[in-house]
Amino acid sequence: MASRGSQYQWSARGFIAPGVILVAVLLYLPLLWTTFLSFTEYNGLGDPDWIGFGNFAEMFEDPGFIVSLLNTLLWVVGTLLIPVGIGLALALLTWNLPGGVWLRVPFLIPYALSGIGVGLIWSFILSSNGALDQALGAFGIADTPRWLVDAPLNTVVMIIAAAWQGVGVNALLFTIGLNSIPKEPLEAARVDGATGGRLFTSILWPMLRPLTAVVVGLSIVASLKTFDIVLGMTKGGPGGASETLALTMYKETFVNSDYGLGSAIAVFLTIVTMIAAVLYLRQQLSKKHEF
Amino acid sequence: MNSRRTKIGAAVAALAASAMLLAACSGGGAADSGETTGTLDFYTNKAAWEPDFDELNGASETSVDISLNTTGYSDADQYDAFIKQSFRTSKSPGLFTWQTGSSLTELVDEGLIAETTDIWSNAVDEGWVTEDLRETYTVDGKQYCVPMNIAYWVMYYNTKIFEEQGIEVPTTWEELDAAAETLKSAGITPYYQTSTLFTFQWFQQMVAGTDPELYEGLSTGEVEYTDPEIVDIMNMWLDQHEAGWFSDAGSTVDPAVGLKQGDYAMINFGSFFNGSLDGAGMVSGEDYDMFVIPKTNPDLERTPVAVESGPLCVAENAAQKALGLAYSEWWMSPEAQTAWSEARGDVAFNPKATVSDPMLDELGTTVASDDYLVYDRYYEATPTPILTVALEQFGAFIANPGDPLPFLEIIQAEADKYWADQE
Repeated sequence: MASRGSQYQWSARGFIAPGVILVAVLLYLPLLWTTFLSFTEYNGLGDPDWIGFGNFAEMFEDPGFIVSLLNTLLWVVGTLLIPVGIGLALALLTWNLPGGVWLRVPFLIPYALSGIGVGLIWSFILSSNGALDQALGAFGIADTPRWLVDAPLNTVVMIIAAAWQGVGVNALLFTIGLNSIPKEPLEAARVDGATGGRLFTSILWPMLRPLTAVVVGLSIVASLKTFDIVLGMTKGGPGGASETLALTMYKETFVNSDYGLGSAIAVFLTIVTMIAAVLYLRQQLSKKHEF
Repeated sequence: MNSRRTKIGAAVAALAASAMLLAACSGGGAADSGETTGTLDFYTNKAAWEPDFDELNGASETSVDISLNTTGYSDADQYDAFIKQSFRTSKSPGLFTWQTGSSLTELVDEGLIAETTDIWSNAVDEGWVTEDLRETYTVDGKQYCVPMNIAYWVMYYNTKIFEEQGIEVPTTWEELDAAAETLKSAGITPYYQTSTLFTFQWFQQMVAGTDPELYEGLSTGEVEYTDPEIVDIMNMWLDQHEAGWFSDAGSTVDPAVGLKQGDYAMINFGSFFNGSLDGAGMVSGEDYDMFVIPKTNPDLERTPVAVESGPLCVAENAAQKALGLAYSEWWMSPEAQTAWSEARGDVAFNPKATVSDPMLDELGTTVASDDYLVYDRYYEATPTPILTVALEQFGAFIANPGDPLPFLEIIQAEADKYWADQE
C-alpha cells in the first residue's frame, strides 16, 4: 500500500507530465535534432548525409561568417553601452523626482512594438532620402551619410534604433532596483555628506549589482540573437556587411536550404550564448555586496 | 486506487504525446483519391495574388468542375520550408507554386513531383506553348509542373519625361546610352536600382546582351565570374555608375512611385510591373510604356530577352494528385490563360489566349517573333547558393561601386564550391 507522501508525489507527476512532455517535444527534441543536423549535409529533402565537423570547418573558413561574428560582437558592446547605460541614467535622473514615473512612460512605449515594426519605422527614417535626410536637407545639410548602406555605420544606427526600443524597460528595471534599496544606508550616507557621484559610486551602484547583473545578462543574450530589427532595416546588406549570426543562420537554412550549415551556426550561437550567460551571471551573482 | 488511476493517466498522456510526435515525424503521403473534380487545395507564395486565383474559379468550375481553395504565403522562405516539410507528411499539396531551375531539379531528383510530360506533349501539339518554354520545365528529358505565369524583363519608362526630353524609344544600345546621357545632362537620373534582392537584372541584361553563350556558361559553371569578358561587362556597369546613371541604392521609395514622380526615367523590371504602376496611379500607354532592351552587342543576330516563369506543381504522393493534374491540364488551355490574363493583368504563355492589355499583348507578339531570343532569368538560371552570394555581391557593388574583381572573386569562390559538390 502506497504511503500518503508517495501518493502525493504520483499526483504531482501527473500534473507535471504534460508540461515536461511539451518542453521535451518542443524544446529538447528540436535542440537534439538541430545538433544532429549540424553534422550533416541536408537540403530539407530526403535524408541527411553525415559529414562530421565539415559544416563547422566551412563556417570558420567563410569570411562572411567572420563579418557576421564581428557585427554580433558590436551589437553586444553597443547594447551594453547605449540602452543599458541610458536606461541606468534615466532611472537615476527620474528616481525620487516628483512625476518621475511619467517621464519614463514615453521611453517605455516603444518596448510594446515588435522588432520588425521598429525596423520598418527606422528604415523609413534612415533610408537614403528618408525622413532624416529630408529633415537635415531642410536645414541646408545635403551631404548626409548613407545611414543604412555604409558599414559599420549601418550596424551602429541599428543599435541606436534598438536602444530607442530598449531604454525604457532597462530604466524601469533599474528603478525597481533603486526602490528596493533599504532607506537606512542611504540616509546614513547622506548624513555623512555623500551626494551625487559619491552617493552613486559608494552606495547605489554596489547595491544595484544583483539587478545590474540580470539586466546586463539579459542584454548580452538578447544582442547575441539579434535578428528581426536587422532583417527589417537592411536584410543584412549590402553584401552581408550588416549581418548578424542569427541572420546568417536564417539565410543559410531557409534561403540557401543548407540546413546542415544553418544548424551548425545555430549550435555555435547557442554555445556562445550559454557560455556568456553562465560565466557572466556566475561571476556577478556570486560576488558579495561590499559597501 | 487514486495512485493507480494517476499512473494510468500519466501513461495515457505520455502515449498520446508519443503518438502525436510519431505522427508528426512519420513520412509518406496518403494514397491518391483518383478524383478529378471537386475542390483542390492550392498553396502559393504569392499571397497577394489570392483574389486573382479566386476569380479564376468561375472559369474552372464551368470547364472542368474544379475550384481552387487557395492558401497564400507572403514570405517566400517560410513557404519553401513549409512545402519541403509537407513532403514528409500526408499533407503534401495537390497543387502548389514553385521555382524553375535548381529548385525544381532538387524536387524532381527526390521523386517528389508528378510528371507532366503528357500534358506538355498535348499543349505543344496544340500550339499552346513554345518549345523554348518546355525546356525550362524539362529534367532528364521529362517534363514536370506547368507554367503558372510568364514575365518578360523589359525596360519601363516614364513617357512624359521621354517626351519632355525629346527621347525616342531606343532601338540600339548606342541609342539607349544616348538617352541616358540626355537625361543625365537634364538633371534626371536615367535608371532605377536597389541594393537588395533585385540587384541582378542589369548584370543579366548586359551579359546576355553581349553574348548569350557566355550567360549560359555562368549558369552551367563552364564560364567563371572572373572571366575577362565578365570583368569587362562589370567595368562597363562601373562606368555607368560613375556617370551618375543610377538612382540611390539605399532609397526605399516604392519603385513604381519613384517612376511616377520622376525620381528616375527608366526601370528594368518584369512585365508584371504593370500592376504596380497601375496601382501607383499611372495609366498604361499614357503615363508609362515599355520597350525590349536592345542587345548590347550589335553583332548578335537576335535580341535576348529574359523570361521568368513560375511553375504550378503537383506532388507525387498527394491525395489530390489526379485532381491537381486535371487542373494543370486545363490550365494550359487558351480559355484558362485568357481568364488568367484577365484576372491578373499579365502576359499569357499561351499564344492563343486573349490578352486584354494592348501593351502586354504587343509585347507577347513581339517577343514571339524570330528576332528575339528568350532566355531564363538569372534568378532561376543560377543555382541557389551561388545566387544568394551573387545577389549580395551585386548589392554591395551597387552600394559602393568600385573595382569589380573582388566582388566577382567572392561569387566565383561560391561557384567553385558549388560545382565541386556536384561532381
